[in-house]
Amino acid sequence: MGFFLDSFRALGTTLRNFLRPPVTIDYPTVIRPRPERHRVSFALLIDETGDEACIGCLACERICPSQVIAIKQAPKRESKVTGKKRGYAEDFTLDLEACIFCELCVQVCPTDAIVMCRAPEVPGFCREDLVLTMDKLYENQKSKARSWGTAAKLLEMQDPARGKPKPADAGDDKSAEAGAEKPKAKGLKAKAVKTIAEPAKESVKESGAAELAKDSVKESVVTAPAKESPKESAKESAAMEIPPTDAKPAMAAEAAAKEPAPVSQAPAADTKEIP
Amino acid sequence: MNGLLHGLLYGLPIITVVLTATALGLWFERKFAARIQSRKGPTMVGPAGILQPLADVIKMLQKEQIAPATADRFLFELAPILCGACAVATAAVVPFSSTVIAADIDVGVLYVLAVNALILIPVWMGGWASNNKFALIGAMRAVAQSVSYSVPMVLSALVPVILAGSMSLSDIVRYQSEHHWFALWPTIPGLPAFVLFFLSSLAEANRIPFDIPEAESELIAGITTEYTGMKFGLFYMAEYIHTLIASAVASVLFLGGWDGPLYPGLHWMVIKTLLLFASIYWVRWSLLRFRTDQLMTLCWKWLVPASLLLVMAAALYVKAGGM
Repeated sequence: MGFFLDSFRALGTTLRNFLRPPVTIDYPTVIRPRPERHRVSFALLIDETGDEACIGCLACERICPSQVIAIKQAPKRESKVTGKKRGYAEDFTLDLEACIFCELCVQVCPTDAIVMCRAPEVPGFCREDLVLTMDKLYENQKSKARSWGTAAKLLEMQDPARGKPKPADAGDDKSAEAGAEKPKAKGLKAKAVKTIAEPAKESVKESGAAELAKDSVKESVVTAPAKESPKESAKESAAMEIPPTDAKPAMAAEAAAKEPAPVSQAPAADTKEIP
Repeated sequence: MNGLLHGLLYGLPIITVVLTATALGLWFERKFAARIQSRKGPTMVGPAGILQPLADVIKMLQKEQIAPATADRFLFELAPILCGACAVATAAVVPFSSTVIAADIDVGVLYVLAVNALILIPVWMGGWASNNKFALIGAMRAVAQSVSYSVPMVLSALVPVILAGSMSLSDIVRYQSEHHWFALWPTIPGLPAFVLFFLSSLAEANRIPFDIPEAESELIAGITTEYTGMKFGLFYMAEYIHTLIASAVASVLFLGGWDGPLYPGLHWMVIKTLLLFASIYWVRWSLLRFRTDQLMTLCWKWLVPASLLLVMAAALYVKAGGM
């Protein structure tokens, strides 16, 4: 008897399901928005001077848990653009077949040369398609949307007390079209965090983050911007209509007050780029 | 009209329509099952994926024909053909309307039930010839199940025969259009007999919840384990035709066939058949399968005695003068 009752219950359940709209998304034609930290591939960046950002330091190769990165170091030579003597990678190969997408290589990169891409997916028709050569990696900078993470952001997120992200020098800024403001802002922040230490209170009050950071101004500003405050200030300063590009490293203190805005705005802008 | 000519004139279109309806039934099932599982089902081939069965057939035709080295080649090749032929042959006597019927024979009910039962032979043939233990077990289960369920099926089909006093399918429909549909009146032998007939034909067609002959989780694919490409396709098609014809016969015997207001007979027949067809799939995608012993218990301990009682009730009803 129980079986028959259960049978009717099962029939009822399926009928109810039948009358509900399907949850399927027509994948190739409709693609769900990817989260901002979605990561599927890699790109090597050309910095704002037009030179390769990668200095061939092997940090990513060493930290890679599945050892998919192979770098051939080039002897140090003078940059054609800036004339400074620096390292280069002669060859850079990243094998996505074994990559676990942990983003550690991005996190350790001292020059933010390697970043992850936020394209919906990277299909390939043969295994070779999954081996990213140096050419493909540089091509990806142009062809794919950038994921949220950069070395500075990742380090800051993991250890807010760290306060001073490694690439403290604004010369490292990258000029990728898509995320132009982002790395710039990052380098800027590095500087700003230093400068903000002295005129802390006033400049922070000016910024939208003031309310939120009110009580924790002393510690949090000096050590690092509180994790939530950039988001808040992003909205606020967006309302204040401050174009992110206006912030120039030279404008130290005033710009410093506004600087959290472009940082957290950048990912929001990226979200729209995803098809 | 000459009987042979009549058979040809009506038979060919009916076979064509039945095969097309089977293909559409396949599409319908996939869509229906998808919706039950909150999916969309086939969407890519043709509008709403309606050409999907065609794509499936083309795919199956292209596949390599593989036979096990130890198989009995002759029987192995013969089985799917016979199976498909038996399934299509059932359609010959089904009256789709008062005129659309390939062969209006006096013993239509007997013919349908007999040809239905004949499918057993190619099924056993395929299971035996495959020389594969899963296929053999599947075939044994299929035979045991079909033989068992033929009994309540035949007995419950006797109810409308007794009530209408004829074994001709079109006479049964005519009787129902003059009186009542048997599923509605006389309710006591009619409605339970309808349910019994429907259940038994589900079991005969090896549909869930009676699909133990091809229980995937135990028997890989039952008798079709060793069959590839279109040979598998023929078995598969036979199963669908079987289901479709079972729905058509059930609607003829109990739901008044082509009888209905407003629309012409053919429409009503199609509507009733498709409703039953859909409910078979509804059951299929909702319930789990029985164990072998439960299946046999259900048949011999419940359905057979119940159908005997129903036959008796029908006889008493007619003896008492009917209504």
